[in-house]
Amino acid sequence: MQDLRVERKGRLLAVKDLPTLPSVLDEVSKLVQDPASSTEQIAKVISKDQVLSAKVLKMVNSPIYGFPRRISTIQHALVLLGFNVIKGLIISTSVFDIMAKNMIGLWEHSLGCALACSSIAKIAGLKDPEEYSVAGLLHDLGKVVATVQLPELKKEIDVLLKEKELAYIEAEVEVMGFGHDRVNAWLADHWHLPLRLREALAWHHRPKSAQHYPDMAAVVHIGDFLTRAFEVGSGGDDHISYLKPEALEILNLKLTDLEKVLDDLGQEFVELSDFRPED
Amino acid sequence: MKHFFLVSSDAELFKLFKEICPHVQWSVFERGAGAIEYLFNDPPELLIVDNDLDDISGLELIRLFKSENVYRQVPVVLCLEKEALRQNLDFSMIEVDDFLVKPLDKELTAARLKLTLARAGRALDANPLTKLPGNTSIIHKIQELIVRKQEFALAYADLDHFKSFNDKYGFSRGDEVLMMTARVIVNTIRAFAGMDSFVGHIGGDDFVFIVPPDKVETVCKMIIQSFDSIVPNFYDQEDRAQGFIRSTDRQGKIQTFPIMALSIAVVFNLEGELCHYGQASQIAMNLKKLAKKNPKSCYVLDRRKSS
Repeated sequence: MQDLRVERKGRLLAVKDLPTLPSVLDEVSKLVQDPASSTEQIAKVISKDQVLSAKVLKMVNSPIYGFPRRISTIQHALVLLGFNVIKGLIISTSVFDIMAKNMIGLWEHSLGCALACSSIAKIAGLKDPEEYSVAGLLHDLGKVVATVQLPELKKEIDVLLKEKELAYIEAEVEVMGFGHDRVNAWLADHWHLPLRLREALAWHHRPKSAQHYPDMAAVVHIGDFLTRAFEVGSGGDDHISYLKPEALEILNLKLTDLEKVLDDLGQEFVELSDFRPED
Repeated sequence: MKHFFLVSSDAELFKLFKEICPHVQWSVFERGAGAIEYLFNDPPELLIVDNDLDDISGLELIRLFKSENVYRQVPVVLCLEKEALRQNLDFSMIEVDDFLVKPLDKELTAARLKLTLARAGRALDANPLTKLPGNTSIIHKIQELIVRKQEFALAYADLDHFKSFNDKYGFSRGDEVLMMTARVIVNTIRAFAGMDSFVGHIGGDDFVFIVPPDKVETVCKMIIQSFDSIVPNFYDQEDRAQGFIRSTDRQGKIQTFPIMALSIAVVFNLEGELCHYGQASQIAMNLKKLAKKNPKSCYVLDRRKSS
């Protein structure tokens, strides 16, 4: 079992050319071709796509640039990478071919979670809501990477989910021996992502276990819950997740505070259908 | 005139090099030992060593020369027999910049020497950390613009409280901040001023950039905005939250220092008013004192057009 785990971890971390969905890629490709585009415009579009965001953060935190684990927002990453590098990165990104339809739900879920996290961070009085938004956007990246790198296991997970009433993460653990939270932690370490992001990605199912930044993990936990409750996109299963009270305690929030978040989000969630190809 | 050394007892070899580079001053040494003192006293722009020497080996001569830091920038080319390549030469130990295989082909040798010299020029002056052009290139660039009477804005940027950051967090954390600063300056300038610009790294936390005069204010504002927003990421969580660090000052007393800021002093060359590089840096240093009075990031333009 241990050998299998090491072998699978190796395959996951070997990921290259992570594909994304065509809609955002098309939009951002147009922007980078136009010399009049601003960094803000490009950052705004990239911030809607978990794969592009992950690629940008992976690159800016790579040791070649000389400041690994320091940069956690897309805006900063773009300033530091510059137009040329971003353009190259966009040009070299491919799109999903067959799986696209299955992935749309996950893309919507992650963007919904990003919006929710930003709103929760604001209401909890935390600084730098953009950082929480990035954490929300990337919280299920491990699912994407596992789908791309371990496709045969992804099939088994889907079969299992149809047979049994399980949460996605439970099915992952049963099939792979670990969940996407673990994959997230491996990726964050391998890509030299900042500790704040790592903790959010690795512990969003168990915020109390985050040693250094439980606030990051708690925000994403609640964001994930709200997005699922609102049925924005799909986390891969039909399971209703539950909210761990510890997440609210960490942030010093009451359940009623979440109502404000929901008011904020109602409209934004409605507008969130960018990934659906126009019929 | 450029000065090249050839260490070889092969008269044919010298004839060929002389044909390839007729307009440089050649010093030829038949014996390796005889070359050493000359090399140390008056290092050439290029050293070519024949591996096949009578007294000491060419490799030994090169090792002797290159192991002194002050001579390391001199490009060295080794001439050897194809046979020698099979002996598994370890180029991490042999500090040559290129090699030529005997018998030498004239055209190929000419091109290789040119490339070696060009590469040495590039590598020589790059800042080892940021790889940006260093002092020699900076002075050269400014002097060139002055002579051409081209209008430009020359900005000197440095970090406030960089030393105390280094003292508290150590040099490698300081280097991270310098790498970040270099990226911010380079990308901002490329975005706003395009190809008419230049960025250099004088050393430590001192940077220089040159942009067209009408762009300089926007560029300064953008650089400061990006720097101020990114630099808190380089502090530990608690220091970032409290907004300052505790560190020992130059007198050995514990003191608090604010988060680092960027000071920029800008000198203009309009209507060819600058005559030489020293004048530009003199004005800039005086302006810098003004900029430093402001504890926050700021820029000061020559002619008191302050931000």
